[in-house]
Amino acid sequence: MTVIGYLANGLVFSSIIVLGSIGLSLVYSIADFANFAHGDTMTIGAYASLVTFGAVGGLGGAVLGLPYGFFVALVVGIAAAAAVAVITERVIYEPLDVDSIGLLITSIGIAFVYRALIQIRFGSDFTRFDIQPLRPIEALVPYGVRVTLHDVAIVVSAAVLVVGLHVLLQYTDLGRKMRAMADNPDLARVSGIRTRRVKLWTWVIGAGLAGAGGVFLGLFNQLSPRMGFNLLLVIFAAVILGGIGSVYGAMAGGFLIGMINQLTPFFSDVVEALPIWPGWLARLLESLISIEYANAIAFVIMVAVLLVRPNGIAGEGAT
Amino acid sequence: MSALTDPRGAVEDLTRPEGWVLGVSAAFLLFLLAALLTGALGPTYFLFLVGLAGMYALLSFGLNSQWGFAGLINFSVAAFFGVGAYGAALFTASGSPLVELFEGVPLLPSLLGLPIVGLVVGLAVAFVLAILIGIPTLRLRADYLAIASLGLAEVVRLIVLNERWLTNGSAGVRGIPGFFAGWPVLGTFPEAMPGLRLEVIPGSPVLLETAFWQALLNVLLVLAFAGGVYFVLRRAHRSPWGRVLRTIRSDEDLARALGKDTYSFKMQSFVLGSLIMALAGVFYTHLNLYVGPGDLDPITTFYAWVAVILGGSGSNRGALFGGIVIVTIREGTRFLNDVALPIDPAPLRLLLIGVVIIAVMRYRPQGVLPPQRELIWPSAVDGGGAPDSPDSGVREQKGGGGDE
Amino acid sequence: MSEGALAKQDPVLAVDDLQKSFGGLAATDHATFGVERGTITGLIGPNGAGKSTLFNLISGFYEPDGGTVEVNGTDVTGMEPYEVADYGLIRTFQTPRKLEGMTVREAMLVGPREQPGESFRRLFTSPGTVAESESANLAEAERILAEFEIDHLATQPATDISGGQMKLVELARAMLAEPEVLLLDEPVAGVNPTLAKKLKTQIRRLNEQGTTFLLIEHDMEFVMDLADPIVVLDQGHVLTEGTPEGVRNDDRVIDAYLGGGA
Repeated sequence: MTVIGYLANGLVFSSIIVLGSIGLSLVYSIADFANFAHGDTMTIGAYASLVTFGAVGGLGGAVLGLPYGFFVALVVGIAAAAAVAVITERVIYEPLDVDSIGLLITSIGIAFVYRALIQIRFGSDFTRFDIQPLRPIEALVPYGVRVTLHDVAIVVSAAVLVVGLHVLLQYTDLGRKMRAMADNPDLARVSGIRTRRVKLWTWVIGAGLAGAGGVFLGLFNQLSPRMGFNLLLVIFAAVILGGIGSVYGAMAGGFLIGMINQLTPFFSDVVEALPIWPGWLARLLESLISIEYANAIAFVIMVAVLLVRPNGIAGEGAT
Repeated sequence: MSALTDPRGAVEDLTRPEGWVLGVSAAFLLFLLAALLTGALGPTYFLFLVGLAGMYALLSFGLNSQWGFAGLINFSVAAFFGVGAYGAALFTASGSPLVELFEGVPLLPSLLGLPIVGLVVGLAVAFVLAILIGIPTLRLRADYLAIASLGLAEVVRLIVLNERWLTNGSAGVRGIPGFFAGWPVLGTFPEAMPGLRLEVIPGSPVLLETAFWQALLNVLLVLAFAGGVYFVLRRAHRSPWGRVLRTIRSDEDLARALGKDTYSFKMQSFVLGSLIMALAGVFYTHLNLYVGPGDLDPITTFYAWVAVILGGSGSNRGALFGGIVIVTIREGTRFLNDVALPIDPAPLRLLLIGVVIIAVMRYRPQGVLPPQRELIWPSAVDGGGAPDSPDSGVREQKGGGGDE
Repeated sequence: MSEGALAKQDPVLAVDDLQKSFGGLAATDHATFGVERGTITGLIGPNGAGKSTLFNLISGFYEPDGGTVEVNGTDVTGMEPYEVADYGLIRTFQTPRKLEGMTVREAMLVGPREQPGESFRRLFTSPGTVAESESANLAEAERILAEFEIDHLATQPATDISGGQMKLVELARAMLAEPEVLLLDEPVAGVNPTLAKKLKTQIRRLNEQGTTFLLIEHDMEFVMDLADPIVVLDQGHVLTEGTPEGVRNDDRVIDAYLGGGA
């Protein structure tokens, strides 16, 4: 594959990571804790849409190689993830009398409950959407780019959602209130913002985007009860890279981490081609920069960021 | 004056939850004893379970000295455990890739096959790993360590899975001897012991053979490990050192303002806990005699978390109690699957862990057995004739379950 | 204009041209002043004048963008709070958090610096020394609690005492760290008048015994009665410094309060 080919793949995967990291970052800044159940919220979205798609099936025509029914399933997936998150907030998080660290630990419990329920219902095996896999778009193949119309659909849908969020944050009343709350929750409360409602909307948006990310991840790869939890590390790396609590930082971080993740095979080609000396170093790098370690590379980046710029690449110096 | 120094005298002034835990534990032991005597539970397997409970208690002690003492969130318990387990396995197993790697190298091959070398290597690697992950995160807010350690666990698991030349990959390591292999007396103890046949209830005899004596040795080993660790932690917890950690847990800025180098204290607490986890891993290797990448699954981490938050953060007895609860969850789900409901035990365990975590945070964030009495170096208080030690627990005064 | 550090005869704390900004906003704007040994120096100013930022800069919690802080003639700029504490500067906080699960005297015992028992190794190599120092510290803690007339609280859970009592305990604990200069951040905020009076007496008594104080306080009556001199901060820089009388009649101070007030 060519560089452009890897970049194209990176763009598709980045779209998914961006959807996940935005939600995590939103909840981080407004509900004020690191939500370890975020990955499993993505899984919920994916499985909800799997079930829906199974029920509505083809449903009329198709766009970008995807039957209309898939888009219905996508909406249901988003709605299900949002609904589960809101219920969790109301039933579990809200009545808790613990600090943000306590919430963090609780969210691990929530993550396990989500995943366990999905695993009990659907088993632990991999599944797929019942959609015919497509061949890569012919016109792009000569450039070494092997993306399908489905991939294009993922990128376009993600772009629509991200732009929608941007409009919401910048130009609506709710968006202004959310930004105010992220900045200074106490000030927001005394200035008359109904923080509880804003928080609920944050969950709706954050979990909804995560649900969409989960659906696309299921379309891009496949579905399994661990799919979200396995992605959690990568999403956290993206959020830390962008600076915790910054939505636009999370977009940038998600984009970068997604790209790097998919470019790993390219990097390993580069390392192989370079005359690295001494030989053991070359061998070490070759064995470490490989697709098996794509997640580990995200981790190394995260640790490096924590060491040098704990507030993210765009943030201000040290805490 | 305290339940720790005078267990008998303290029985009367147990708090409600303490009495409750004691009651449940006693009932559980009776149940096991009954199962043993009727032959429903093999004595060797029973001892294996005791060893396992001890192992989880050790793991919980490790996490307790991080989260319980200093409020450090370590989500890579499984990684430190795994490093200890693999260190011990690779240096002792007959099927270890190290046998081939060290061939022809002077000196190194003679290190293989010695459990004590495996122990030292396992702890040393855990030590280095703890410092490496501590450096970037311990200066930052508590949740950064949580996130980074979750990543560390994944990376260690990936390495174990992919570096086949070192770890055998997904096949795992077999051919591990018992911890006492090669020791005088203890090494041959299981074979030397005669087989015994007990028949408490007529018709269901209980056989005690080599495997039983081997298991008994393991239990003694874990008792020694856990006892030693408990002694160290108890002293540390009541010392000025432990007091600084507890201050950091409640209010790190206060500790800094009073001239404490909190980064260094947190690092010490983190390293100490990680070493204890690795020790648990070393023991597990010699208990289970097989180690595979599955042992590094995050679930191990959260077993330890359940034990610690359930028992009460900072409470070493709580961690002990938590160890028993974990084995009950592990084996209970297996039993349920075998006997009653054919539900896959894996998601059921996950569900139970999740529910317990949520329930504890909701109803008893301080745990079932939070540390009770004030923690001042014992002789300093006793020296004054202890005229004014508090009449009741520090936390329980508000009557049982006062939420903080 | 600047009658700051250089004008002092024996400054225990000297702040020179200190600067700090957040997101382009100057919170501390070339602040210069000194604290003379043996005084109770007050630090006042309207809301948002940057008093707390200044405290955080002096005690090492924030890193300054420019300028220096000297404690006892040693440059401590950019040092960690625990290092600054080693040079004899201790601070308290506006809203002390309660140490969960500790009794009052346990919480007090966090105060003494460089306890042998704070070394993990020595807990096992020389437990005798640890026990000795622990006994001595406990006796000292109880003596100070008695001086503060709160010895009856010694074995109470720290979470059970009132906010005002907590402020007293905090002051008492800070004394166990044997500071040469003690920074108090709003010692009587939210404290009832009886306890406030008690705090005033204690601060005065400790000052007579040799401790230098620098305190932020909004309660004008309290600070005017207790402190001399008084440093007035406005928009991050030192507006003026003088006796309570002088400050009270300074037009610039009155303007600052009127202009800065909402």
